[in-house]
Amino acid sequence: MEFKTHISVKNLSVWYGKHQALNTISIDIPDKKITAIIGPSGCGKTTLLKSLNRLIDLQDGIKVSGQVVVDGENILDPKVEVTHLRKKMGLLSQKPQVLPMSIYENVAYGPKINGLKDKKKLDKIVEYYLKEASLWNEVKDRLNNPASRLSIGQQQRLCLARGLAVEPEVILGDEPTSALDPISAERIERRLLELKNQYTIVLVTHILRQAKHLADYVIFLYLGDLIEHGPAEEFFKNPRYAKTQAYIDGQFISEFKIDKELNLKGIVCPDNFVKVKLALEGLNAGQILKTIIDYEPAVTDVPKAMESDGHKVLEVKQLNENDWEIITQKGEINYTI
Amino acid sequence: MNKRKIEENIFKVLMVFSTSLVVGSLIFILITIFSKGFPALNLDMITKTPKGGYYLGKEGGILNAILGSIVLGIGATILALLISLPVVFYLNLYLKKKSKFAFLVRFFLDVLWGIPSIVYGAFGFMMMLFLGLQASLLAGIITVSLLILPIMSRSMDEVLKMIPLELKEASYALGANKLETSIKVVFRQALPGILTAILIAFGRGIGDAASVLFTAGFTDYLPYSLFKPVATLPLAIFFQLGTPFPEVQERGYASALVLTVIILSISILSRFLSKRFTKHVIK
Repeated sequence: MEFKTHISVKNLSVWYGKHQALNTISIDIPDKKITAIIGPSGCGKTTLLKSLNRLIDLQDGIKVSGQVVVDGENILDPKVEVTHLRKKMGLLSQKPQVLPMSIYENVAYGPKINGLKDKKKLDKIVEYYLKEASLWNEVKDRLNNPASRLSIGQQQRLCLARGLAVEPEVILGDEPTSALDPISAERIERRLLELKNQYTIVLVTHILRQAKHLADYVIFLYLGDLIEHGPAEEFFKNPRYAKTQAYIDGQFISEFKIDKELNLKGIVCPDNFVKVKLALEGLNAGQILKTIIDYEPAVTDVPKAMESDGHKVLEVKQLNENDWEIITQKGEINYTI
Repeated sequence: MNKRKIEENIFKVLMVFSTSLVVGSLIFILITIFSKGFPALNLDMITKTPKGGYYLGKEGGILNAILGSIVLGIGATILALLISLPVVFYLNLYLKKKSKFAFLVRFFLDVLWGIPSIVYGAFGFMMMLFLGLQASLLAGIITVSLLILPIMSRSMDEVLKMIPLELKEASYALGANKLETSIKVVFRQALPGILTAILIAFGRGIGDAASVLFTAGFTDYLPYSLFKPVATLPLAIFFQLGTPFPEVQERGYASALVLTVIILSISILSRFLSKRFTKHVIK
């Protein structure tokens, strides 16, 4: 399956004070597909999501570096008009957060602040998007009631309608079903599947079933690092790296016990291949080698070579803008030279 | 186990005692004002201005002070509100949560809250001398608004602090800027708290005597100009209780009763109104 990129994240790092929440994330989010960001709690899923519409700006002591390119524009540039950017990105939060006004006004809020005053047009918009969020039939007789009186599931659908009413290109969902009962959750999921033909959807979730069910593309974060990403089917069937496998299997994710470290900074092909080979030869089967490289073409080539030699590549991750880390476990093989 | 039970009981008794002390003294004050003031209260008192010998026990009323207090109280509350609202929205939506400047502003407001009202009165008086004003309604309004400004803004500040970040995020995420979010979302959500803050400030302002002593002056006439002195209920109470005549003193209590009723009815009214305004508030 070929993906057309909509949002391109390049070397994105985010710090909350001294704590680094995201470490050099580079990823392309495909257009008009559902992309799921998964990972255990506190791994930076929500931070990544909120970087996309710059809601992280509201946090105290935040520091961001890198780029997020949407429609050819780096949105982290301070010159970017955030209100315009946010209008492009509808947000569904964890707990549905309706605005303190009537059902009608909740949906009309976005179009109104964007300058639409015509009452007839607003009426049409409200009806259209409430239908889009499959809420219309339940509320059409009480549009002027306070939105806070709706049930939680209805509130989340109202939030969806409200988000769609500003005609975004992207829908960002921050665990949008986690506060809902199964039936309401299912309705939202179904709606998202129908909407992905028109919108790029990015979904934070820690429900694997949901990611499997909805996603076309999956991003796996762990402790602020991007561990693995790829088309959903491949990701769930054949995860490339050990941590991904552990997470999918519902196992405890442990840090690797490194037996030997190899620093290949400044060393290019083919020397780096030779050095890795030699280092692995010195290890026993099952022992783990950590290699640090700063030569970008090698990031894909070196692990490939290791694998073709019969070793297991456990993890490849970017440490900072220049350096990558490759963690390899020596396989059960004997060389004969 | 037994010791814990005894501790629990001792503290429970202590809590009940303190609570009843508070409620009891409030009831005692109300009873005193009512029992002493009610007999002296008559239609003349609240519909007429003082005649020549009012403070010697002759006929007349305190309409001048009632109207004066209401006009001055409302004026000062509006003025303080016009300043407080921008301050608290700036503190809570435009400044970062841990901003040092915001911390400093809150600290100053807290200090101002603690300054006795006579100091505000003296300060207002000084400003009047400096500006060449005489004791007047305007000077009184300005001084009282300074007095209630910290009360109002700190109460509102606490309310705005409680607004969940998610609510602001929801508004920002739709492309709203800070001003739109402030006015259309945060203000609505905070309205009950803002009304309470206004009410507390109004009650404090209308009941204060020391700050208006030099600045608003006193007069037997109804308020008719911003630049002329105005009578206020607290001072009317003060003057009447200060006379050696029992019947005038009783009128003092009656005036206190009028003041209490004004504060009480505004309190009830605002609570009634806030119910109408707050049906959209998210719990």
